[in-house]
Amino acid sequence: MSTKMPTEEDILRPTEGFSKKYFALFGVCALALGAFLVGWMYQLSQGLVVTGLSDWGSGGGVTWGLYIGAFIWWVGIAHGGIILSAAVRLLGMERYMPVARLAEMLTLAGLSAAGFYILVHMGRPDRMVTSVIGHYHITVNNSPLVWDVTVITAYFVLTATYLGLTLRYDVSRLRDQLPSYAPQLGSVQLPDLYGKIYDGLTLGYTEKEDEIIERMVWWLALAIIIMAPLLLHGGVIPWLFAVLPNYPSWFGAIQGPQFLTIALTSAISGVILVSYAFRRAYDWDHIITDDIFRGLLLWLGFFCLLFLWLQLQQLTAGSFAPTVDHATATDSKFSHPMYVVPMLMVVGVLGFIFATVLRPSLFSKKRAIVAGVLVLIATLVEKTYFVLSGFWYPTFSIYEATPGDYFPSAIELLSLVGTIGMVVLFFLVISKLVPVVELHAVEHLRGDHDHGEHESASESAGEPEVEA
Amino acid sequence: MSADDESFHPLGGEWEDELETMLDDTEYDSDLGMEMAKDAMRVTKGELSEAEFHEMYHDDVMEEFGEDNRPTEEAYEEMKAAEEGTFSRMLSKFEGDGEDSRRGAMKKMGAGAAAVGLGAWGTVDDGEPEAAVADTQQQVDEQDGTQWGMTIDLERCDGCLTCVTACQQENQTDQGVNWMYVLAFEDDTTAGGNPTPDVRGGNDDFNFLVRPCQHCTDAPCEKVCPTTARHTRDKDGLVLTDYDVCIGCRYCQVACPYGVNYFQWEEPQEATEAEIADQMGVEPGEEGDHMTDERGRWVDSRAPRGVMSKCTFCPTRQDGLMGDDRVGTTACEDACPPDAIQFGDVNDERSDAYQHGEYPSKSRAIIDIVRNIPSPDAIDNLLSEDDDLESALEAFDEDEDDDLDQELVSIMKAIEIVSGGEEPAEETNDTILEQEQAVLESLEALEQYVDLESEDVLAELQLGDGSEDDANLRLRQYAGIAGSKFKLLEDIGTNPNITYIGQNPGPNAEQVESWISYEDVGQTDNRKEILDEGTVGDPGVSL
Repeated sequence: MSTKMPTEEDILRPTEGFSKKYFALFGVCALALGAFLVGWMYQLSQGLVVTGLSDWGSGGGVTWGLYIGAFIWWVGIAHGGIILSAAVRLLGMERYMPVARLAEMLTLAGLSAAGFYILVHMGRPDRMVTSVIGHYHITVNNSPLVWDVTVITAYFVLTATYLGLTLRYDVSRLRDQLPSYAPQLGSVQLPDLYGKIYDGLTLGYTEKEDEIIERMVWWLALAIIIMAPLLLHGGVIPWLFAVLPNYPSWFGAIQGPQFLTIALTSAISGVILVSYAFRRAYDWDHIITDDIFRGLLLWLGFFCLLFLWLQLQQLTAGSFAPTVDHATATDSKFSHPMYVVPMLMVVGVLGFIFATVLRPSLFSKKRAIVAGVLVLIATLVEKTYFVLSGFWYPTFSIYEATPGDYFPSAIELLSLVGTIGMVVLFFLVISKLVPVVELHAVEHLRGDHDHGEHESASESAGEPEVEA
Repeated sequence: MSADDESFHPLGGEWEDELETMLDDTEYDSDLGMEMAKDAMRVTKGELSEAEFHEMYHDDVMEEFGEDNRPTEEAYEEMKAAEEGTFSRMLSKFEGDGEDSRRGAMKKMGAGAAAVGLGAWGTVDDGEPEAAVADTQQQVDEQDGTQWGMTIDLERCDGCLTCVTACQQENQTDQGVNWMYVLAFEDDTTAGGNPTPDVRGGNDDFNFLVRPCQHCTDAPCEKVCPTTARHTRDKDGLVLTDYDVCIGCRYCQVACPYGVNYFQWEEPQEATEAEIADQMGVEPGEEGDHMTDERGRWVDSRAPRGVMSKCTFCPTRQDGLMGDDRVGTTACEDACPPDAIQFGDVNDERSDAYQHGEYPSKSRAIIDIVRNIPSPDAIDNLLSEDDDLESALEAFDEDEDDDLDQELVSIMKAIEIVSGGEEPAEETNDTILEQEQAVLESLEALEQYVDLESEDVLAELQLGDGSEDDANLRLRQYAGIAGSKFKLLEDIGTNPNITYIGQNPGPNAEQVESWISYEDVGQTDNRKEILDEGTVGDPGVSL
């Protein structure tokens, strides 16, 4: 563990210049996103027939597939970010302050990917404004899909506001060291383009606002931490499915908490991966310390435990004395690899995390990364299975063509690559514009912050386990 | 309302109780409604001013309905000046932004309408509460207005798929878009086949399920729609999709427990919009183009790419845009050889759907014999005053053109005994009562010559003592004992408007191969086989 002091220079490093690796990664991601956009254009020209979907029932397929599974997955990833960041502010878990902003950014990127999936999944995305907004005052009363769009939009706005407010402090202080770019077009001298962004971000900033902003952000964090579990992944997203009585694998009260635990496991995994990438790229060993990864991993273990516990509830209730339709749905869980394998992966991750508690030497960042990747794969596959299983085992299962066939088409699979590319691109771009680690975090680590008494960075790093 | 309460209503306690039952059926507070009704009555008697009435319940109405757009105190002067019944205007105030459907508005104001309206709201000077009551009664009846629906006699269905083909051809749907879907099934509880005595028209070897859209009164597809594209048409309860509004999210298909929705995954293969309109001899978008209904919304025929479609119950026909003789019919009903599909207004006792559902044995018997009965003219020609049953049958036996045997007479007489003598509705092309009338006319002609009322003859006709019970027994013997009446997945609470007669498929029911395949009739059963051709990178395996 490094003991060198974090400096402003450290957190500004990503904004300085472009490396070859940066360009390479940018190119790969742009290619991935571009390839999917081409696929999507083809889908728009041909119709959703390019997917592997069909009608459930006599139509021999499933109505929703990977697009919706991936949508849920991205919303889930989007979650944790902001919850983690909100917890830093509300509960004073300052240990995670260095990754709080990355987590917030992951929220924005994840929500963007999820929002994109909504469009991609629709037959007539061009009517989004006229048909959805135009009848909003009627449909918001009863359509869970409209609740979804509402809450996701509100969540995005809250998070963006939150991020925007906290950026003002940093940008105003680091303004002189942030990059500038004022190109000359022919004989026309353009103004500093970066400067325009920073001017916008810090519009009307005075130091007097710091205290007020801090309080506003606290309240925003409170709103977010209430809203996320109750309304988003513990609410409207599971309600898309949980309110439909004709699908035994969806219907019921447990989907709210179940979705939330899935969201939190995938979100923490996402934060682990993003944090590790930045630490590695910019030598931030002394900022995003090993201790942070140990802490995140323990949280991951905790949510994996909840995740598995709620799955167990469903398996028990679904197999003791189930109704006919429920029995079929549960039987499938015991045998279908898309369910069994993800569960085993999460069990494995949980076992590893338990082991690191008993024997801390088992911990390594690489293993934490592997755990994160396994959980992300497991949650994506499980969520996709969840969506499919509804259509495979409906209450009205008389049709010979039910359960229907499904395999994601090349374009559907490409959408995954494309949206991952999109999220990475988001980080590549935003990290060139603003510090992805808060100035507060550096000040805090240095011990020169004005937040009152806190343990020093070295002390904090010396405590391997999360207090929770 | 407790029993010892004295009735406040001019039409008495019984009427009041009925009102209360109606209020109970709404989602709103019955007690509030009854209280309001009581005081509304006081307003009609002049004991309470409208303004006071408004004020008294303002808070309660706000709490219950979230809005109170009843005439306000300020509006009172103006209202008085107008000196007209306020009921209809008050109803319109409850409708909100005007985009709500009338049906929705009726529902919304439920208790309010019943309270204010049934409470015989009249102007203070009117002094004729009864007249207002009559008026409001009419208003309430409209809540039970036309609701198209079907009674499908599964025991008469022989699984021939003619309805499937007729629907596909009328609506130009793609292969595999089986708005009308018929399947043979087996269940743990049945070995297949219908119970004896045999039902004419059916098929002994299979149970069939005929599955169009159920046009549910509480349609979950409509509830989840994020756009209102899936909607219930005010005037007749059809559940339709506005192809111009749908965004293709497919949540309706997800929410429907019956699996009746078919998404338009690709460009429609069968006909362009111009071709569909051309078949009707008009331009697309014009009235009667078989796509646009009378409200001007594109809800009929196959869907364009990217939106959802399903069985429509043929709104172009119901709107009279295919001619008056097709109102109250559907393509599948018209096509069904054994008349297993009976379409009509389920709220109208004279409709085919109602008649066949309520009196299946009689209805089946009518359908079975109506083509065979001799006309009154033929009877007049062949018979004379001194004929008895035996000689009359002999006379027909010798005649080359017309037939009449003892069984036919027996069934005709049985139909007469159980008949309620209802007249058929004129505008909705219901055929069962019409055919019943034809049977009764012939029977009447026959009875002018032959005594069919005596004990001996009744016994000979197997009609016992001529009671309704005996006649019903005879009809059941002839047309088959109707199986149970059921609605599909009734416990899910969708309130479907299709009633089935026959074997209700249980949770273990499984579709089996029928004696005729979709391919045999030029149709496609599993649509995925066709859609797979458009899938990009289809690996040919399934998860």
